Amino acid sequence: MRRVVLSGEKLMANRFQLPNLGIGLGLRTTHYSTILEQKPAVDWFEILSENYLRTQGRPLDFLDRIAESYPIAMHGVSLSIGSTDPLDRQYLSELKALRDRCRARWVSDHLCWTGVAGKNTHDLLPMPYTEEALAHVADRVRAVQDFLGAPLALENPSSYAQFTDDSMPEWEFFGRLAEDADCALLLDVNNVYVSSKNHGFDPLSYMNAIPFDRVVQFHVAGHTDHGTHIIDSHIGPVIDPVWQLLGAAHQRSAGVPVLLEWDAEIPSFEVTHAEALRAREFIGVDA
Amino acid sequence: MNREATADALGLHERASATPERADTLSEAALGSAPAWTLGKLGLRAQQEWFLAIISTPQAEPAPVNEHSASRLIKPSATLSSLERIDIYRRGYHARLIDCLLDDYPVLAHALGEAAFEALCRRYIAQHPSSGPSLNYFGRHMGDLCRSEPLPEPGFAADLARLEWAIVLAIHAPTSEAIGFEDLSQVPSERWPGARFRVNPSLEILHLDYPANAYLQAYRRGEPMELPGARPTSVAVYRTGRSVWRLELEPTLVTLVESLAKGATLEAGLAEVQALLARGAEQDGAEQEIARKVAHCFQHSVSSGLFSEISL
Repeated sequence: MRRVVLSGEKLMANRFQLPNLGIGLGLRTTHYSTILEQKPAVDWFEILSENYLRTQGRPLDFLDRIAESYPIAMHGVSLSIGSTDPLDRQYLSELKALRDRCRARWVSDHLCWTGVAGKNTHDLLPMPYTEEALAHVADRVRAVQDFLGAPLALENPSSYAQFTDDSMPEWEFFGRLAEDADCALLLDVNNVYVSSKNHGFDPLSYMNAIPFDRVVQFHVAGHTDHGTHIIDSHIGPVIDPVWQLLGAAHQRSAGVPVLLEWDAEIPSFEVTHAEALRAREFIGVDA
Repeated sequence: MNREATADALGLHERASATPERADTLSEAALGSAPAWTLGKLGLRAQQEWFLAIISTPQAEPAPVNEHSASRLIKPSATLSSLERIDIYRRGYHARLIDCLLDDYPVLAHALGEAAFEALCRRYIAQHPSSGPSLNYFGRHMGDLCRSEPLPEPGFAADLARLEWAIVLAIHAPTSEAIGFEDLSQVPSERWPGARFRVNPSLEILHLDYPANAYLQAYRRGEPMELPGARPTSVAVYRTGRSVWRLELEPTLVTLVESLAKGATLEAGLAEVQALLARGAEQDGAEQEIARKVAHCFQHSVSSGLFSEISL
């Protein structure tokens, strides 16, 4: 199992012994200059893996410099773990090389599929929660972990549709997948909130079913409420009910790093970081 | 002949995991239509093909299933029908890719206007769906598409798209630093004729029919612009460190750089420049002026940072 630990990082009680890095931010180009010039005291950054793949140029220059000073975790959107297309071995090789280059503490992606028949929608498309899908995804997660030589963390996505042939709720699928594939989980509490509103379930039911010893990271984010449905737009500050869900998740864990995603109308670095640090109010100052 | 840096010194924007939203210029897509899919019990593969076929259908067209068919696979919610729920993904699919193209082609979008650019993007998405894990090169066909589209000035649009795409390529090209005169000063004079220059690995020289670079620069400066008439120009696009540069090239500089890029020695490259100038000289006694211009051409190529290495 690959593991790189900087001095000062706290090893925590998740079963993968991945470190609790603290409160981090999604790395965004609009903040590059501030980060490089001012070296703000941020615990860690999460990168969108695909932004640094299939490039030899400037994105990697920035990443190299930032990775010299901050712990990095990788978060992908194109693994397409639920697709019925074959796994893209070239993509996996590139992920692995990027991980080694930036010394990423872990690699994550989403419980979803992004395309089929050779097409990539670059969107996080919903899975049916069936035994067939569970077996299919678990096989692929195991294959990816074998390839990476490290645990893969899978995130619960926001979803806007449910299949009629679902045979279990998402939280059961998510938890069983983690056990069957022996993978890590990235619990996005904003996504739990968004999906709970879109599908009409109690978010605490979700929380209660999660095997928290497998959770290695939390996500929080803003969203857009259209009245009839909520879109996971990563815009604006995090609303209090989502912060409270983070608190509920934190209580069930032994200490998990928190990451704020802000992707639309991104404010200054200072405002973004201040929003992320609000997590302290809900998880305690020692996290 | 100044070189201009692009205003965006940092890079292209992220392709995030968020669900993008756009205020579509389209009228509401027709959600109901004749069913084109016979639905029995579908396995995972068939479900995914079904879902993809619906969400990748252009929004100006009716969905390929009706509500009755959709509800056999997708549950309605308390507030949305099955087809409305799928349509969230359909909108998200197109919005994300339009945003990507807008990120790559902001000046083309300005030149065409929002509605025309969005319509162009929708045709692009239909003709060139993404097949790879990264969106970094998704927009590579825009120049070709512009040339074949019924746009007001398709030639200008195509040239502008080629220029903006060259900027994208320069961002993703290997990083290189430029050699300067201090590097040249270390070359013994007797080695000059045989010296070979490696051009910056990100360099692309565009030969355009329209002054797209002047238009782009006016856009960056916030100056008033009109769609220009045809005027051939050559533009070098390249990156040194983190800065992407656009440099309009005179014919002499094009000749020198293209010659050296092909591996010619400096002596051979300058001879080509000299020959070019001599063809344009109409009066006797122009030799000194030609020699001055040849020297200036070389100095300009070095000071512009077009070369990354000298080999002797």
